[in-house]
Amino acid sequence: MSRSPLLLDDVNERQGIFRRRAFLLGGVAGVGLAALGGRLAQLQLVESGRYRLLSEHNQFEFVLTPPPRGVIFDRDGVVLASNRPDFRLLLAKDETTDVDQVLNNLAQLVEIDEPRLRRLRAEIDAAPRRSPVALVEDMTWEEFSRVNVRAPELPGVTADMGEVRVYPFSAAFAHVVGYVAKVSAKDITKDGPNSEPILLNPGFRIGKQGLEKSYDLDLRGKPGARKIEVDVKGRVLRHDPRGDLPPTPGAPIQLTLDSDIQNRAMEVFGTDSGAAVMMDCRSGDVLCMFSAPSFDANAFVRGMSGPDYKALAEYDRKPLFNKALTATYPPGSTFKTMVALAALEKGVDPSRTYTCNKHWYWGGRPWGCDQAHGTLDMHSAIAKSCDIYFYQLALSIGPDPIAKVARAFGLGEIHDIDIPGQKPGLIPDTAYKRRAFPKDPVWHAGETPSMGIGQGYVSVNALQLCIQCARLANGKVALEPRLIHSIGGVIRPSGAQAPNLPFDPAHIAFIQSAMAAVVTSGTAAGGHAELGLGPIKMAGKTGTAQSHNYTAGSRGQHGSQGAWATRDHAWFIAFAPYDDPRYAMSVLVEHGGMGADASAPKAAQIMRVALLKDPQIRARITQPPPVPVATPDKAAAPPAPDATT
Amino acid sequence: MTVSAISRPGERDRLMVKLSHVDWTFCLILTVIAGVGGMVLYSIAGGTWSPWAAKHLVLFGVCFLLMIALATVDLQIWFTLAYPIYALCLLMLVAVPLVGHATMGARRWLDLGPIRLQPSEMIKVGLVLALARFYHGLDARHARLSFRLLIPAAMIAVPAALVAHQPDLGTAILIAATGGLMMLLGGLSLRVAGGLFAALAGIVPLAFMFVLKPYQKARLLTFLNPEADRSGSGYHIIQSKIALGSGGLLGKGFGLGTQSQLNFLPEKSTDFIFASMAEEFGFLGCASVLALYAAVIFLGLRIASTAHSHFARLASSGVIVGFGICVLINGAMVMGLAPVVGVPMPLLSFGGTVMITMMAGFALVLSARVHRYSEVASGRGVLF
Repeated sequence: MSRSPLLLDDVNERQGIFRRRAFLLGGVAGVGLAALGGRLAQLQLVESGRYRLLSEHNQFEFVLTPPPRGVIFDRDGVVLASNRPDFRLLLAKDETTDVDQVLNNLAQLVEIDEPRLRRLRAEIDAAPRRSPVALVEDMTWEEFSRVNVRAPELPGVTADMGEVRVYPFSAAFAHVVGYVAKVSAKDITKDGPNSEPILLNPGFRIGKQGLEKSYDLDLRGKPGARKIEVDVKGRVLRHDPRGDLPPTPGAPIQLTLDSDIQNRAMEVFGTDSGAAVMMDCRSGDVLCMFSAPSFDANAFVRGMSGPDYKALAEYDRKPLFNKALTATYPPGSTFKTMVALAALEKGVDPSRTYTCNKHWYWGGRPWGCDQAHGTLDMHSAIAKSCDIYFYQLALSIGPDPIAKVARAFGLGEIHDIDIPGQKPGLIPDTAYKRRAFPKDPVWHAGETPSMGIGQGYVSVNALQLCIQCARLANGKVALEPRLIHSIGGVIRPSGAQAPNLPFDPAHIAFIQSAMAAVVTSGTAAGGHAELGLGPIKMAGKTGTAQSHNYTAGSRGQHGSQGAWATRDHAWFIAFAPYDDPRYAMSVLVEHGGMGADASAPKAAQIMRVALLKDPQIRARITQPPPVPVATPDKAAAPPAPDATT
Repeated sequence: MTVSAISRPGERDRLMVKLSHVDWTFCLILTVIAGVGGMVLYSIAGGTWSPWAAKHLVLFGVCFLLMIALATVDLQIWFTLAYPIYALCLLMLVAVPLVGHATMGARRWLDLGPIRLQPSEMIKVGLVLALARFYHGLDARHARLSFRLLIPAAMIAVPAALVAHQPDLGTAILIAATGGLMMLLGGLSLRVAGGLFAALAGIVPLAFMFVLKPYQKARLLTFLNPEADRSGSGYHIIQSKIALGSGGLLGKGFGLGTQSQLNFLPEKSTDFIFASMAEEFGFLGCASVLALYAAVIFLGLRIASTAHSHFARLASSGVIVGFGICVLINGAMVMGLAPVVGVPMPLLSFGGTVMITMMAGFALVLSARVHRYSEVASGRGVLF
């Protein structure tokens, strides 16, 4: 084709076609560019606001700042639970490619043992992608700086200073205050306060027991946030302090407990198992609530290894169990105060006598007493704790009046004390039999004598017995216990704002005097309940409760001998001073044997602290020292210092 | 057409005269666009010349000088070398799958000692030259519809298929579209062109089903619904739209584009550089740059239309067509109007071979302008 020259008109035709089509293409390009311009206008002018927002979402991230947890104080402002700084290492999971390598490098800088390494690996595997994992907590400053220097060898690991809960009295308040621990997967709920993202914060802890659990939301506070600029990999580039939202600290909680009394209770119990509860019998404030033996609450904050926890949980004195609230026992002879009051209310003359010959045959079987008390009236029957007297007294009035009095004194019910796991115990009556035993709905007369000495179906916890004692000592008001003095400065209503007891004050005064006789001439006489505070005397009532059913005749030693786990539970309830009751308490020694031997001395020791801290009581005990009378005789007077020269 | 130029034969061959016939407005516009590219590259590198801005501007400077030099080369020489250049490019394209350098699963690069070349870019210029040369010797009747058109069709199809095989679908489409439009400019029957286009439209869904690689399918589906997969394939488009939209009317300001600075925007220096620019300079900046591109296309097509030789017309218009398609596809992709295909924004995007071939193409355009009165003698070529 190239050999034959093209004709001129052909050339012109080609040029014409080209020009037309080039013009057309130019037009198409123009339209295309105009379309792009239109799209630009749509994105950059019309929808600009939306994209600007999206851009900021990309650029900035809000990182939650955990709020400082509310501090818990005792009634004098002594700190029972607070927070201390915690140097720790966090691992950002999505920045680390080789977790094993990082952990091995870290193990050379900080001591991490093999089981801990294994647990860490599991924790890292289980953690959500964007949430960092706390690798090491509670580092010393030396370890912390050593790791910081070697940071390049630990990609994805950041050092950070957090806060961790600390209980200065590690064990004394472990059951009441409880403890916080790391959030576990089952703590997180779909909605509600436990769905908040702050729970995923590394090292965040929530209340797992005691008041830490029941007031978790008050103590927790509201998380704040830090506004940080991040790049596409989530690396922090800048921190914008103006964008920060400060966290709202958790509310401080002041308890009515007294750390001196509580610590004394812990000392007094030693390795014994049991509980002690003390209330102010004018206000209802709980001054002491201790369960023995206790455990180190700080160990739970750190996180316990499996074997350590197992050892605690399997110890037969059950340190993890709050024996003041969550365990119920027969009240034993302490219940005789209720039976006697019920009889008085029924019009029984306190001078009514029964004769005790150590054995009493009724209903075709023998009923025993620990000794032959002879003929007793009600006053001395309480003081000497004669079972045979109370078998017959209970039979003469029946179960229902006793149950009515016992319930009025707070037994068999759950009290509003805000510690989870409270057990109500049981005060039986005919209605209870009908309800609980459909096959045998009748109260048999043979069940009444046992109830008369606080055995049988009757079961209570140590708090209830303390309330009973406080109401007896108050004599008038059906005091309610108050454990929380204030939350965040808001004071809780006093336990004294309760209705009056529906009983004759004279009858209660009679019980009080009989309880005084227990200490002076009854079962706890002879120094068991001696305070050693001069005119300040304690009144009380012993109780010895069967921990299991005895075969006939095997209980000759009152169950205070033999293997520990088969011995009786020892109770003592007490109030002091007898003449002006201020403090009431109950002491339980599990498998302690006799109430007078095991519990009364402990009660006296703990009561002393409360009494000695009370300035008005102190004023009564400490007499002014005898002032030597100056003699007017000048010769006998010592010479003045300057006279010797 | 000046009187003196006619009156004095040989005058037009003098270098100074040739330089005076270079379209300096056109050159200025190219320089401004490349300068904006350098600015954006400087900004998104966090206000540093490395790794992109300095290289980009130096390369443009060198290419600019070469472009001016090449613009003075007589069209006859271009005409003579057209087929050899095309053949060389094709050879390199064949060599790529055998000895090429693979990045991100595709073999696109050829290592020649110190230089790394992307033959798929070079073939664009080679194809334009070859097609222009072929049509130069074809009369209007044959150009309309004849069996001879199978030759240019093969010239287009072979490199397009090779590039698609690399795989680089974007460039393959670009090559095919450039070639197709050049055939249209050469005089292909509009009815036939329309029919072919319709047939293509029918084949595309089939191709989607059987030919496309999974990642290419994913990109297409993502384009249709980017929000469905925010962190995966849809990420590019969403982040690009965020960068554009958040720029607003005036932009976030030089060096203040968070999308690009914080790396939320992928490929911020190459394929998505327009989004980087849009974020910092806003609608006004973008519209201005688009206007500059429009000016390049307008001036380029005007140069093509005023050329005397058919070779010069088709060669310069082919370069401009390729350039225009590139701008439109990249713009549409960045704005979420087209699927993500690897097509750079000419003169703005960072990239060596693209810059070299694009500037070589502009050298052809300028040469067509400088030699607009010369006729090219056919039959003196190497092959025909």
